[in-house]
Amino acid sequence: MRKIGFAGLGAAVVLATACSDYLTGGELSTDPNRPTTATTAQLFVGVEAGTWALLQSDMARVTGMWAQQLLGTNLQYVDIYNYGVSEDVTNGFQAGLYTGGALVDVRKVESQASSANDTLFHGIALVMEALIMGTGADLFGNLTYKEALTGIQNPQLDPQMSIYDSVQTLLSRAIVEMQASGPTNIGPESADLAYGGDPALWTLLAHTLKARFLMHTAKLRPTVYPQVVTEASKGISDPADNFNAVFSGNANEQNFWYQFAIVQRPGYIAPNPQFVTLLQQRNDPRLHTYFNADLTDLNPALLAPNATQPLVTANEDLLLWAEAAERTGDNATALAKLNQARALAGLPPESGSLSGQALLAEILIEEYIADFQNIEAWNLYLRTCTPNLVPVVAGSIVPARFLYDASERNTNSNIPPPTQQPARNQNDPASTTSDATGQKCLGQ
Amino acid sequence: MPLSQLRWCGASCLVALLTRVAPLAAQGATVTGHVTNVAGQPLPGVTVSITGMGLGSITRDDGLYTFTVPAARVTGQVATLNARRVGYSPQNVPITLSAGTITHDFVMTQTAAQLSEVIVTGAGTSQVRERVGSVINTVDSTTLKRATQPQNVISSLAGTTPNVRVRTQSGEPGASAFVLIRGATSVTGTNQPLIVVDNIPIDNTTQATNGGDASTVAQNRAADINPNDIESVQILKGAAAASIYGARAANGVILITTKKGSNGPTRYNISSTQTFDHVVKTFPLQMLYGQGSNGLPGGCSTPDCNASSLTWGPLLAPTAPVFDHGTEIYDTGLTNDIALNVSGGTQRTQFFLSGGVTDQYGIMEGPNNRYFRNTFRLSASHQLLNTLTFGGNFSYFNTTGKFVQKGSNTSGLLLGALRTPPDFNNQPYLSSTSELQRSYRFPNPTSASLTTSRGYDNPFFTLANVGNKSNLGRFLGNLSANWVPVSWLAINETFGADNYSDQRLEALPFTSSSDPVGNVTRLDINNLEVDQNLTGTISYAVNKYLDTRIVLGQNLNSRRNQQVFVFGDQLIAPEPLAIQNTVSYTPTEFNSLQHILAYFAQVEADYNNELHGTVGLRDDGFSTFGQSDRTALYPKADVAWTFTRYLNNGAPQNRWRWLSNARLRAAYGETGREPPVYATITALSTTSTFGSGFGDVIGSKQSGQGGVVTGSNLGNNDLKPERNREAEFGFDFGFQDQTSDLSVTYYNKKSSDVILPSPVNAAANGASTALLNGATVTNKGWEMQFNARVYTAKNWDASIGGNWSRNTGKVVSLINGIQFIPYNTEGFTGAIGSSTVGFAPGVIRGQDFIRCGLGQTATLPGVGTMANVDSACGAGAQKNALYIAGTNNRPVVNPDEQVIADPNPRWTGGLNAIVHYKRLQITTLFDIRRGAQVWNGTRSALDRFGTAEETTIRSDTAGIFGKNVLGNQAVAGPGAGKVAFRTPSDWQNWYTTTGGSASPVQSQFVENGNFTKWRELSITYTLDDPWVRNKLGFSQALIRLGGRNLHTWTPYKGLDPETNLGGAEFLTQGIDFFQNPEVRSFILSITLNR
Repeated sequence: MRKIGFAGLGAAVVLATACSDYLTGGELSTDPNRPTTATTAQLFVGVEAGTWALLQSDMARVTGMWAQQLLGTNLQYVDIYNYGVSEDVTNGFQAGLYTGGALVDVRKVESQASSANDTLFHGIALVMEALIMGTGADLFGNLTYKEALTGIQNPQLDPQMSIYDSVQTLLSRAIVEMQASGPTNIGPESADLAYGGDPALWTLLAHTLKARFLMHTAKLRPTVYPQVVTEASKGISDPADNFNAVFSGNANEQNFWYQFAIVQRPGYIAPNPQFVTLLQQRNDPRLHTYFNADLTDLNPALLAPNATQPLVTANEDLLLWAEAAERTGDNATALAKLNQARALAGLPPESGSLSGQALLAEILIEEYIADFQNIEAWNLYLRTCTPNLVPVVAGSIVPARFLYDASERNTNSNIPPPTQQPARNQNDPASTTSDATGQKCLGQ
Repeated sequence: MPLSQLRWCGASCLVALLTRVAPLAAQGATVTGHVTNVAGQPLPGVTVSITGMGLGSITRDDGLYTFTVPAARVTGQVATLNARRVGYSPQNVPITLSAGTITHDFVMTQTAAQLSEVIVTGAGTSQVRERVGSVINTVDSTTLKRATQPQNVISSLAGTTPNVRVRTQSGEPGASAFVLIRGATSVTGTNQPLIVVDNIPIDNTTQATNGGDASTVAQNRAADINPNDIESVQILKGAAAASIYGARAANGVILITTKKGSNGPTRYNISSTQTFDHVVKTFPLQMLYGQGSNGLPGGCSTPDCNASSLTWGPLLAPTAPVFDHGTEIYDTGLTNDIALNVSGGTQRTQFFLSGGVTDQYGIMEGPNNRYFRNTFRLSASHQLLNTLTFGGNFSYFNTTGKFVQKGSNTSGLLLGALRTPPDFNNQPYLSSTSELQRSYRFPNPTSASLTTSRGYDNPFFTLANVGNKSNLGRFLGNLSANWVPVSWLAINETFGADNYSDQRLEALPFTSSSDPVGNVTRLDINNLEVDQNLTGTISYAVNKYLDTRIVLGQNLNSRRNQQVFVFGDQLIAPEPLAIQNTVSYTPTEFNSLQHILAYFAQVEADYNNELHGTVGLRDDGFSTFGQSDRTALYPKADVAWTFTRYLNNGAPQNRWRWLSNARLRAAYGETGREPPVYATITALSTTSTFGSGFGDVIGSKQSGQGGVVTGSNLGNNDLKPERNREAEFGFDFGFQDQTSDLSVTYYNKKSSDVILPSPVNAAANGASTALLNGATVTNKGWEMQFNARVYTAKNWDASIGGNWSRNTGKVVSLINGIQFIPYNTEGFTGAIGSSTVGFAPGVIRGQDFIRCGLGQTATLPGVGTMANVDSACGAGAQKNALYIAGTNNRPVVNPDEQVIADPNPRWTGGLNAIVHYKRLQITTLFDIRRGAQVWNGTRSALDRFGTAEETTIRSDTAGIFGKNVLGNQAVAGPGAGKVAFRTPSDWQNWYTTTGGSASPVQSQFVENGNFTKWRELSITYTLDDPWVRNKLGFSQALIRLGGRNLHTWTPYKGLDPETNLGGAEFLTQGIDFFQNPEVRSFILSITLNR
């Protein structure tokens, strides 16, 4: 009788001692709902999706309003259009450079590609890193980069110009790495929804991005124009090679402009009269490719759930080339590239007599029009004061940078409060005159 | 021997028969008798036993006890027969044990203080109440049984116990009950206590299928238990009492003990209860003005036209037919409850078998608000050896429900019903031509409108929706072994499991306003909790004064939860409401596993029955704790000093007689709350989306390519459990031979390391949030409880009791200087639940108007930006006066968000009375709550739509702020006292903008939620006359007439300040937004005992 009891007690003790790892292992230590590893290709799909959101969602709309191509017509968008932004309104823009789908995952792609000796994939990831950080520098100026993703408390902000320099280094390295051939250089293949992993196309993109971000430094460093010409000449020149965001149109895979203007917030944005007038005056056929027939909204073709969204284009490359050529005195190349871009837009060539200031003005206006729905329109305005916009709020300047995220400022003592943040970024001292017209710049 | 043979036997045969029977009789003694109270009523549940022999029985509902003493132990000796019951003075009588039947009847007198009862103290331990140094409240089965409606054990605790605040979501069948013990300690989660049934922790989750704001009501899972199976409920409130449950006990523990069989003849008990429910109050609606805007009619008559959503139309002709849309959707609800118990046993083997059926038809029109519960239970024990007893307890519950869409939902019942203009007839709800839904905003549907929104659904269409159902099967059981190898050692092992499978369907048919193309949601939840608890108890008497007891224990626990959620978008055919009948469907899955390995030790010492102390320690290992510290220690200590024993030692016998018992107690303990599952893990995500807060987002998967990204929430491997440190002090006094008693307790609790989602630097971490231990919350308060037998005479007995409590909760700090965290799923923009520094968790944030005397600066009409409000108000302005200005003489919106309502009560109380007269028993209970604010969002919306009764003020041609608009408030500023409203259009303009639900200022709809509810009145008559047995074959019949929620006294303007938009899935209470009201019930119950 007593034996049964002791056996029971003994069993319980065994049960207790056998459970030294009762608290770890299996579904106790790994989350059955979320993966902890992913293939390089799967991470890359996420990076592309994240980058499209970065370049196309709220950032493109807000800069489009500030560049006066769009009008904010309801609630928060009226405020933002009238320069009413606080660090809470734009909260999340800055963090989005680093979080899932952006830098943190680009770095994972790079690290996994290195381990696999896939220099093609590594090079492509470097291009994405350059695109993300270069865009970040455009928007915020000084940013955490060297100490990014180190887990360091209060990471340092690096000067904006040093980030642009890093971007050039990344792209140069990428171009070299993508040329290398070898059995392990597989790249993303079909996981790359933009280019199908084609190294030639990524190389074109890398050159165009070099031209873009060099140009963003040109106000401080006028000596970069010849480099812009060199890079642009190796960049995207055929619209078939454009770097595009593609959308299947299925749920969670829909064009942002469709989602915003049709589904989520109809009536929040409208064509800006300034821009409409410009297109009408120039008799530009894009008036009706950009906007609908009665000029009350975007063109329905741009508002399709599966509409392809260009992010870096042949037009941009050709016009950067033209601008840089003109600024270095090469009128002929400038005119040729302008006309090449005009042809892509369905416009007749400009006459051969166009040169100097007039040619530059034409190139810059053409860039402004071609960059519709793209952050580059606002960047162009900031560096050239073209067109010479009248601020929508009298006495204000057109916003020239984004405030750091409130959440990033609250968690990093190196980020000053909004009132102590500069109005303009280092690369972009206020223009005194408009590069196109030579007249006094009104909005800077 | 067959009877037929008996006849042929002669006397010799009879003698032979007797001699064969006689040894049987000589085998033992049968001890039997009746136990009654002073009023002569039979007393069930009295333990009658022979001291020192371990033999005895428990009386049944007819007060009868019977047990046998084995012959071997019957030696003609004198033994002590002892009768004990909670709430009564124990009695001892000497009896002579000799063969045959020994009859002894007891008449028990009630005592108020119940110090000698043995109470369950958790994790397999129990203790005499007198020796426990912390407060443990007990609610017995009779109290629970009286509170039949609404069949939810948690609801039935309302008003019974201090600082156990119960709030039932609504009067709907299957609505959940929220319970908060001594305040919220955590700034996330719902702060619900741990529920333990017969030593096995069970799941009490409340999970709405599609979010608590909208969707339908969802039951809190403890309500699956059949209340008729419950013997008693003990509530461990403070950290000292609950410390034995460690990191699961931060919000207290509710210990449920089920009924067991006992030695004696087999007993049968059947009861049938009918409950009739009806709506207490409907929302006051106006019947004077019709649909439309600015006094013009707003209806329409062309096919598929859209009519005005507003009821700011013309004054209706006196002859025009009008409809009260608040009342037409309700009828009388009926609940049938049948319970059957069979129990009995022998000296070694006892059993208890029960079955119950509860079938509730709710108060809403139609068959689609129902709750049905079927339960079966077998509890049995067998004494295998004199030292070893095995027991088992198996129950099965089947719960099904049909629900009605509610809340913040354009397809919800009251939202559409109460917005309907009085001149619109909601019947028929289907168009006679197209057979499609018609509503006041879409009155003439053609067949082309199959997928067109109706604006708001016709309430009768909502009631006819058959697509909202649940079906749950649940097993709950345990096996136990109790081994007492030697008198000083007892070893107890309990192994139990709680397993349920809950299948939900929620669907919206075509034309539903919130999704006109229709949808179907399936949710399958599987939950399994397995628990093993081993204790060893060593008792040792050091000397004749000092008794000690040491308890060592081990606990293993495993919880697995699996959920599959499938959302089917867009119906194909109108029927069936099934996933395969949708155009596309998206499944999501959730799985989790959590383990606990804990050890505990407790040392108890008692000196001379006068001074008692306990120290304990639990070492908790949880799989959910961060890797850096996988275990946590929870100490406790308590001491109780019965100083009347000290005083009475040597004092003249009657000097302290008025104070029959006095006890001081002090306790300190710690408890915790474990982190959410998998919060320590940094993982990748397949469901992240990118885009903006405006809703334009894309996923990480694109164009058929599976994408994976880093999750936005950083895993925290240093995550620790939240920790409560609580001290409590109190006294228990018994007066005048225990005929009355008073208990008072003060407690002070500090919760630190409280877990909250906190922003982290994205640039440094690649993620923007992490769960961190950071916040600090305090709760302190007072609790009082008293009972008094105010009158006792032959046939008469009356007693009263009451409780009072207050709890003051405060979020001392959050993290990194953050001042508040919003609960985005609990409430609305403008009235959102939150934890805000300086307030108790769960306060509502929103905006107010500019007020004088508060040092505000604001943009003021006619003054300019950043103006000093106080100087604009002028010197004579009262503090808090509304600043009135502008061309319309209106108040000015203050854009700064602040706390606008605190739904936490200042104090709560309960008052009960029991009167016995002969066979008649009358009991009553009042439940009182003071100082809990409610945001009346229903009124806010109905003011805007113009259907609220108070919008009849539109005929007033001199509306003045502070007078007849936002009345009884001081006003100041240039517009103070000036007429702001002259025409109905002025009024409409106000209520549809700043004065109604479109307004950012929702503070104007925050109301006083004080109430006193006459919770219960119960009249029971016991029939146990001989004819009952002779004619009916039963020993006893009880007939009960009862009422629940008979009357509510409240200044609240809405339906009921007690109900809430969300049930127990919300921490934020005090949100009134188109949820159903509480019901008043009348109960008729018949119980037959045999």
